[in-house]
Amino acid sequence: MKPQLRAAAGCLLACLALAASAQQPSPLDVVPDKMPNDIPYGAPIALDRAQAAIAAAVAESKKRGWKLNVAVVDSGGNLVAFARMDGAQLASIAISEHKARASATFRRETKVFEAGIQNGNNYLITLDGVIGSRGGIMLLDGGKLIGAIGCSGGTGSQDEVVCKAGAEAVK
Amino acid sequence: MKTRPMLTLDDCRKISAAAEAEAKKNKWNVCIAILDDGGDLLHVVRMDGATPANSHIAVEKGRTAARTRRSTLTWQERIAKRPELLMMPGVTPVQGGLPIMAEGACLGGVGVSGVQSHEDEQIAAAGIKALA
Repeated sequence: MKPQLRAAAGCLLACLALAASAQQPSPLDVVPDKMPNDIPYGAPIALDRAQAAIAAAVAESKKRGWKLNVAVVDSGGNLVAFARMDGAQLASIAISEHKARASATFRRETKVFEAGIQNGNNYLITLDGVIGSRGGIMLLDGGKLIGAIGCSGGTGSQDEVVCKAGAEAVK
Repeated sequence: MKTRPMLTLDDCRKISAAAEAEAKKNKWNVCIAILDDGGDLLHVVRMDGATPANSHIAVEKGRTAARTRRSTLTWQERIAKRPELLMMPGVTPVQGGLPIMAEGACLGGVGVSGVQSHEDEQIAAAGIKALA
């Protein structure tokens, strides 16, 4: 392409982009009336329940022949119980705890971050303490957040299956 | 090739349960952490009433014992005499961390935090005893 032509094409593209943004305002500019994710923080999860969640997660993982790390944190995001299954990946020790902590402190499943980033909301990566991978789930009691469970060591989808089995035990 | 034993999740559960029983017997609320010989986490239990800080401290005590193959009390005593050892990388020199030794090898470490340091160590020792 010749320089003049390239400049003209560039101008045209810029104009199109401007027109498109004028037609469709960014969803990030919308100001909702209510607080999103307004889940109250409750008392920290008791050890018995945390261990029940870990035992259920480990049992599910074993049943499927998987080797994962499972972490449970309290409503403050601090570790309450942890188990590394025999042969589980070492990097996932920290990842399982990170998923649990992110789920508790952001009051949502970590899958939300994964989906958001996949959709092009790259700003999510810049938020403190985010992890963009599924496998972190909140633990609620009477509508209050008492902690969260995080699993890591397999694919995100495997982690999530085991995570759900663990969370089920706390209901 | 040299071979040596390694900790399984079942071993960790055994150690942790014995340590927790020792703590319960004395009405102590602590956190008990077990790590492998590389200092990577294997198992954590934070008893009801232990503080959030206890889980961090227990892990660091256990990691120190696992990686240096010594009790954290050894480090505490050494540093009392030679403060320059505070600069040693990755050392938490507070009693309450013990290495897990078997067949002449270090398999990992147990770290306990929540009560007085010598009591923390008492709990860690009770846990390791259950493995034998």
